[in-house]
Amino acid sequence: MADEVRVPIAREADIVAARQKGRALAAELGFSSCDQTLIATAISEVARNIVTYAQSGEISLSILDQGGPQGILTIARDRGPGIPDIKQALQDGYSTAGSLGLGLPGAKRMMDEFEIASEPGKGTTIRMKKWKR
Amino acid sequence: MAELPDRSLTHKMGLTREEITRRKEFLELDDKDVERLRGLHDLAGQYANAVIEEFYNHLLGFREGREFFRDAAVLERVKVAQKKYFLELTGGSYGESYVESRLQIGLAHERINLPIQLYLGMYNFYLRAIASRFLDAQKAKPAEAFQNFLSVLKLVFFDMGLAIETYIHERESTIVTQQEAIRELSTPVLRLRDRLLIMPIIGVIDSHRASQLTQHLLQRIRTDRAKVVVMDITGVPTVDSAVANHLSQAVQASRLMGATVIVTGLSAEVAQTLVRLGVDLTKVRTVGDLQEGIEEAEQLLGYELARPPAAEKRDDPA
Amino acid sequence: MNSRARRPPKNAMTPPDKSDPMHVPILKQGPYLIASIQSALTDSDLFQLRDDLVERVGRARSRGVIIDVTVLEVMDSFACRVLRDLVNMIKLRGAEAVIVGIQPEVAFAMVQLGLSLEGAVTALDLEEGLAYLDRQVGGGRGRGR
Repeated sequence: MADEVRVPIAREADIVAARQKGRALAAELGFSSCDQTLIATAISEVARNIVTYAQSGEISLSILDQGGPQGILTIARDRGPGIPDIKQALQDGYSTAGSLGLGLPGAKRMMDEFEIASEPGKGTTIRMKKWKR
Repeated sequence: MAELPDRSLTHKMGLTREEITRRKEFLELDDKDVERLRGLHDLAGQYANAVIEEFYNHLLGFREGREFFRDAAVLERVKVAQKKYFLELTGGSYGESYVESRLQIGLAHERINLPIQLYLGMYNFYLRAIASRFLDAQKAKPAEAFQNFLSVLKLVFFDMGLAIETYIHERESTIVTQQEAIRELSTPVLRLRDRLLIMPIIGVIDSHRASQLTQHLLQRIRTDRAKVVVMDITGVPTVDSAVANHLSQAVQASRLMGATVIVTGLSAEVAQTLVRLGVDLTKVRTVGDLQEGIEEAEQLLGYELARPPAAEKRDDPA
Repeated sequence: MNSRARRPPKNAMTPPDKSDPMHVPILKQGPYLIASIQSALTDSDLFQLRDDLVERVGRARSRGVIIDVTVLEVMDSFACRVLRDLVNMIKLRGAEAVIVGIQPEVAFAMVQLGLSLEGAVTALDLEEGLAYLDRQVGGGRGRGR
């Protein structure tokens, strides 16, 4: 099992690649089928944001193992325009209805831990963790 | 010193380095004690065998003790392990590997269901055996002998704390497992008749349980090919907006699988409160009680069955 | 009627090659069209499906369309939008549309994400989807039409 898997994100086909790798890693670690789907879906959403808004970036997947239950850490990084108002982006109802959705509130709900750092003009980094039950 | 593997018992039980240090501080177990203990190692080596033999003879004098050591081979193995343990008390190294090894021993005893009384009784025996021999070996300097004994006392209490902790940890893990099992049992999904499921929910719903319930329900919708689910929440003590949102999600997810959910047992007052709190209940079909819910479900199913599909037309090559 | 087209093996580890977009097989069954989505569809595959299906509906004057997503492992916000558009476009062509085969894990993830496929009819599987269409369309016997 590799320690970290990195998937460059530049085209929409990479979105599929990233989420498949996420699912495969989750399956390897013994996550339930449902959690595998949640992880793959969350990765799909953040990867898509990279393609849509930042043109290119990277998804990195790594295993969390500190003696307790295992987990997966997903980091989505880009050097795109950044998110001007993170609080608003994380509000339900803001993103999902229209076509300019960021899918962030949903991704946050599906994960156990979710952090987002973004600076307009510099880029965005999203860190999300899901633990095996 | 080599790092302990991440999956060690110390890590699993959440014992940090800081915590271990604090415990030693609390017991006032310091470097002087460590030095004294180390200095006693040779002495301990001289009478280790005798102490161990005496201890097991003592233990085997009791029915409970005999029950654990009926097998002679097991008894031999345990004696060897105990001797090693005994010598480690004066080994002079009381860091992370020491702690880990104590926890492992505690765990091993808990797993064989050795009552904690017997386990603590063992420590008591060691202390008395050591006390008498120290006094004997250092007759000329009783004050020093007493200091040595106090150092051993501190370390033994440190050990006992770890032993008790493993017992607690194991018992708590069992409780958690059993609670999970109870939760599973407390939400049966019953197939009332063809295509109709009933799900009476009892007890508090937190977000973890809500996820479990929903996932379980969705699986059952698939295996039972259910078209209607009656979800009764009479047995849910508090229905606040969080619970209502969970229910709403379950309803929507079921719809995605082609099943209609009828929620029953939601009193009018609670419904009003939820609406006032801004919870969107428009997509949730609520009906008075379970009985009414079942009747409505049957109506729904009957309605669909009363309009039979034009079966012949389907196979016509167009 | 054609026998069901061979589905590619469910090999989730092979990403689709961009130069060979996966065509979603669209079969005719009586007055209906059935589109069976394969796993790992890229965005352009989805757009392709939408265009193909809408075109076929018009050409064949189908009364109903079933979109079978049984094998789809992830439904994200984009896929959801495209499917909703697809359903609307089919309705505009005067046909009924049903999405079938959403799996438990996918349904769960969708509601966590806040996706609802609002306005689209959903059914458990192909059999239920066909039964629904028969009731709605009735092989010519509509509801008081």
